[in-house]
Amino acid sequence: MSTVVRERDLTALVVGVTLLGSGGGGDTRAFGRMLRRRLGAGELVLRDAADLPDASVSPIGVVGATSVLMEKLPGGGEFDAAVRAVSRWTGTEVTGLMPLEAGGLNGLTPLIAALDLGLPVVDADLMGRALPRLDQFSWAVAGRSLTPCALSEPSGQVIVVDNVDAAGLERAVRSFVAHTGGWAVLALAPTAVEAATADAVQGSLTRALALGRAHAALESDATPAAVAAGLGGRLVGAGRVEEVARHLIADGGAAFGRGSMCMVDAGSHAVIRIETENEYLLALVDGTPVVTTPDLLCVLDRRTLQPIAVDAIRTGDEVVVVALPGPAWWRRPDRLAHVGPQAFGLSCPPQLLEAS
Amino acid sequence: MTDLAPTLAAMLSSPGWNDVVVLAATAIREPRLTGSQVVLEVSAHPEQLDGRLLVVLLADDHADWRIDALISRASAAGAGALLLAGVEPLGRGAQLLAERLQLSVLGCPDPLAAHEYLRRVTAEPEVLRSDLVLRAVSALRRAGGDLNAVLRTTADVLDRPVTLAGADGGTLAGEPLEPEERTALATSLPRVPVAWAAPYRIDLPSGAVLLAVAVLGVGPVCWLVARLPGAVPAEVAAVPDVLSVVAPAVGERMALRRLELERDARQRTSLLGELLHGEPSEATRRRAVDLGWQLDGWHTGIRIGAEGQVDVAGRRADVVEAFDAEGLRAVVVEQGDGWSAWITAVREPTATEVQQQAAAIRRVQRRLVQTVDAYVGVGRVQPGPSGIATTLAEAGDAAGLARGRAETGRFLHVDRLGLAQLLLAWTRTDTFQPAARALLAPIKDQPGDLVTTLAVYLDTESSVAETAAVLGIHRNTAAARIAKIQHLLGVDLTNPDERLALHLASRTTPTE
Repeated sequence: MSTVVRERDLTALVVGVTLLGSGGGGDTRAFGRMLRRRLGAGELVLRDAADLPDASVSPIGVVGATSVLMEKLPGGGEFDAAVRAVSRWTGTEVTGLMPLEAGGLNGLTPLIAALDLGLPVVDADLMGRALPRLDQFSWAVAGRSLTPCALSEPSGQVIVVDNVDAAGLERAVRSFVAHTGGWAVLALAPTAVEAATADAVQGSLTRALALGRAHAALESDATPAAVAAGLGGRLVGAGRVEEVARHLIADGGAAFGRGSMCMVDAGSHAVIRIETENEYLLALVDGTPVVTTPDLLCVLDRRTLQPIAVDAIRTGDEVVVVALPGPAWWRRPDRLAHVGPQAFGLSCPPQLLEAS
Repeated sequence: MTDLAPTLAAMLSSPGWNDVVVLAATAIREPRLTGSQVVLEVSAHPEQLDGRLLVVLLADDHADWRIDALISRASAAGAGALLLAGVEPLGRGAQLLAERLQLSVLGCPDPLAAHEYLRRVTAEPEVLRSDLVLRAVSALRRAGGDLNAVLRTTADVLDRPVTLAGADGGTLAGEPLEPEERTALATSLPRVPVAWAAPYRIDLPSGAVLLAVAVLGVGPVCWLVARLPGAVPAEVAAVPDVLSVVAPAVGERMALRRLELERDARQRTSLLGELLHGEPSEATRRRAVDLGWQLDGWHTGIRIGAEGQVDVAGRRADVVEAFDAEGLRAVVVEQGDGWSAWITAVREPTATEVQQQAAAIRRVQRRLVQTVDAYVGVGRVQPGPSGIATTLAEAGDAAGLARGRAETGRFLHVDRLGLAQLLLAWTRTDTFQPAARALLAPIKDQPGDLVTTLAVYLDTESSVAETAAVLGIHRNTAAARIAKIQHLLGVDLTNPDERLALHLASRTTPTE
């Protein structure tokens, strides 16, 4: 079953992919505006894999420092350049696109690319949410190679990487973006749609749209419990942020900002602490872990109910913390090891919500 | 062994926990620590703790979320408190959580040592006791000669302030006691201690504990007092034993000091005795110079008498201190039941200076009231070595008078008026006149004007012939009257005391 996105759905879609970002995934507003402009009065169909049996789809998205996107703006040709490069290297024409990552701005970039390049979009992605590392692509977890792949950055430089594992690719990408514009478009090899989507999370954008619509339907004065129920998740707590601590840790060449925030629940006075990296990773209530990755932790502004990103949260914010079930694809013990708390250096067993 | 479990506050003030700091305090609960349990890392899952302290040996990052989780687990396991390696502050979340779960979180650079000390005070009080006693014994052997060195050594061994206090709680040596501690000490300790009595324990409202052991030796009894800011039962049990070991050493030091004091006092007293007997010899002058006494110049004598039993040699230091405090450079010598003192000036003081000096001496007396119930007489300014004897004699007389005169604050200054006028002034008082009349009553209405005869006889230096000449009577008549007076009054006129009393009485009665 396909989902059709029109202009009136865009607000909900943007909020939805932001919620799937779990506090990370980059700022979606710029790409939201870009998508609105590209789409105009037209429509975009999010297709099922079965609708395009003969397509060769390439997972595509932005990698690197998404915060730099606000300063180093896209030139417009990056998607095209990456797709062309990977087509040329593999000798296979790209006839469809799919997101690398559904959470955050990468939930929107394939749609812009699809409109630019006139290609269909398959609603299947390699994460089902936002995750920070390339080895956390479902393909890599399932044992499928991520290479060959192509990177293109805003000033036109293109590189193709092949014959390297996920960790090696991560290093190549990091050093490439660090020495160019800070970010790049990554396009993976075009793959027969059946194989491409077999090891992928299905329907994430449709879910984002549903989440965004549920969010839009919330009353402006909804209680925290009503907000959680409306979004189909569990309330962790609501109250004032008491402290936000951030510090850098060097982690295998890539420095992620590890941090934490703590707050006191206004109702129960329970002390809530959330450990963060690029995303909200782990929530403790009174010292007991209650929610961990790969489930989604969403911190919403208490008044506007807008999601607040990890790098935007401040002491004194009045917030509602809601946990949403993560992608079902990850809920297998062998896959959990790659995205559970241990994958982020948090020595705590995964705490997952009841599957919805 | 819960009776050995100290409170957290007491442990925090104990010597073994000097470097333990509170990272997150809980005001509401004051837990007792029943023991100590060590785990290696913050990720440990402790079993049931029952009020024991949970000690974490490795805790690099105090902002780590695992510390929050550990606080939660420790609280659930019933920990008395949580002690982490390191003293960096906790994250805000951990602080809020500790407060919410009412679990105190402590930090220490050496958690193993803190653990060891707590284990010792809760499980092995005898080891702590014997360790302290042995350390005290070996430290005392090396301690220097004087009393303060002994007290300091003891304080170092116990890591607690140690005081030598008098029976009234006043500090004699060592760390001064606070006023409220002094009061508590004075009310709790017996006046007359028993040598074999158990050490005294005084609990102060602040939670601090005073432990006192009597020091028995020469002189008045005093107390060796150790002050513990908090009551750790094992320490409260061990400290008295240490004090009992130290007490004889303190007694010995005090006896030695006493001996020195007595020797010095004897030297001063004998030298003063020589000065008071006429012109000093060359040898006496030399000894005076050795003691720093200036014999030439103008001297003002001061006599300080003390009521009741006073340790004149021991308290001399207080008197000297009181003079020093008023800026008076006085020589103070123990004499009889008080002190004789004099102030020497290079030139003759003016009347104003004499007045100012007298006022200063009055302030000295007021200072002394705290330790001695003193009456003071001040003599006139007298020049030269013999002047010391003169002015001291006047001061002595004045002090004798001052003793009975509460209305002048038991202070009397023989100023321009001579002593005789003073005495006369005294005989006109309401207290003396009835006494004088009663004294002379038996001879008042007798024939032969016996009162006048007595007055003249005493005025003429007990000369019968002179009396007869003054009164214009025969010598035998005068002798008969004297004999009759002696008979009627039942007195012996050769006794100087009785003669003086009658002489004064005869001076006051004729004025009626």
